Amino acid sequence: MKIALINGSPKIKNSASGCLLKELKAFLEHNNNIISEYHFNKTQLSREEMEQLAQCNVLIFAFPIYVDGIPSHLLNCLMQLESFFSAIEEKNIIVYSIVNCGFYEGHQTAIAIEMMRNWCIKSGLCWGQGVGVGAGGMLVSIKNVSIGYGPKKNLGVAFKKLADNILKRSSGEDIFITANFPRILYKLAAEMGWRKSIKANGLKRKDLFLKK
Amino acid sequence: MQMRLLIHDLKSDDFQKIFPDLSRDTMVISDNGTIHYCVGCFGCWVKTPAVCVIRDSYGDMGEYLSKCNEVIIISKCCYGGFSPFVKNVLDRSISYIHPYFVIRNGEMHHRRRYNNKIDLKVWFYGENITEKERITAERLVKANAVNLDCSVSKVTFIGSIKEMEGLIL
Repeated sequence: MKIALINGSPKIKNSASGCLLKELKAFLEHNNNIISEYHFNKTQLSREEMEQLAQCNVLIFAFPIYVDGIPSHLLNCLMQLESFFSAIEEKNIIVYSIVNCGFYEGHQTAIAIEMMRNWCIKSGLCWGQGVGVGAGGMLVSIKNVSIGYGPKKNLGVAFKKLADNILKRSSGEDIFITANFPRILYKLAAEMGWRKSIKANGLKRKDLFLKK
Repeated sequence: MQMRLLIHDLKSDDFQKIFPDLSRDTMVISDNGTIHYCVGCFGCWVKTPAVCVIRDSYGDMGEYLSKCNEVIIISKCCYGGFSPFVKNVLDRSISYIHPYFVIRNGEMHHRRRYNNKIDLKVWFYGENITEKERITAERLVKANAVNLDCSVSKVTFIGSIKEMEGLIL
């Protein structure tokens, strides 16, 4: 089975989407699967990339929500893919999406997952499943924690179910999870992180509140 | 003075037909073909607070939003969301809000940076908007309003942009 892992984050490195795909890849690396990786940190895809994707049996997108939806650069790529896929009569592709958000609650990704489902319908592709991951802001900092343990306990359970569906090419209900970590501590850690970042840029804590 | 902000993805001749004479208190954000996509750097929160670090014509969206009391969005409906250009403008607008979190409606959202109250009106157009896309789009605008802490007075779906003539302002 040919599987494409598509990172839809605009970040070149250290993206939460990249961390999530790396974790999922470990569940899929057997059964003679051929896994190829793509990074859509651009607005236009090459014809070669689209032809390669059309040869896949499974497409797995991972991206962050921006303003409750799909980031604009990725939306451009999806529209290009819709035109390309719509012109192909015989296709047998199933799509899964892993969507993360900086908010604690994974269900805040539900609208972006719905948009991916709508994209599948317009493109003539089958919809597999969506996984919405909250507390995305901490995923990079806990990348060395083993999946299924500590703050990544829920992620382990969700990815096991997702991987089982992917390997059978079957559909499943969307799953929404957050980190196994208290919301109040996530909020405090995030705010501490912003203060640290602004100081690292030579500014003061109060500058976080600047107005124009 | 409070102004009106109009974000749209219409071609200039269509825009002229719909808005033959706009008043001076309306600021218009149109696609001039040069917009850069948001790269997720959070520079607008921690490097140049309240301003986007990308200095194209769309780097001051947060400031524009802070000075208006009405936002009108006209967008092609794409998969139940905005078109790439309109979405790009919104992605580049997050300096309007503050990086800190607050709990609103029992969920985590961003804190306000400014105190102005915005009323949002959205016009989605497209010949093939499905029922599912319409439901998604309605949910999207509601979620946007919660995140921007603004009100929504109208979400309208139309088949062709001609139908908007004389209706919006």
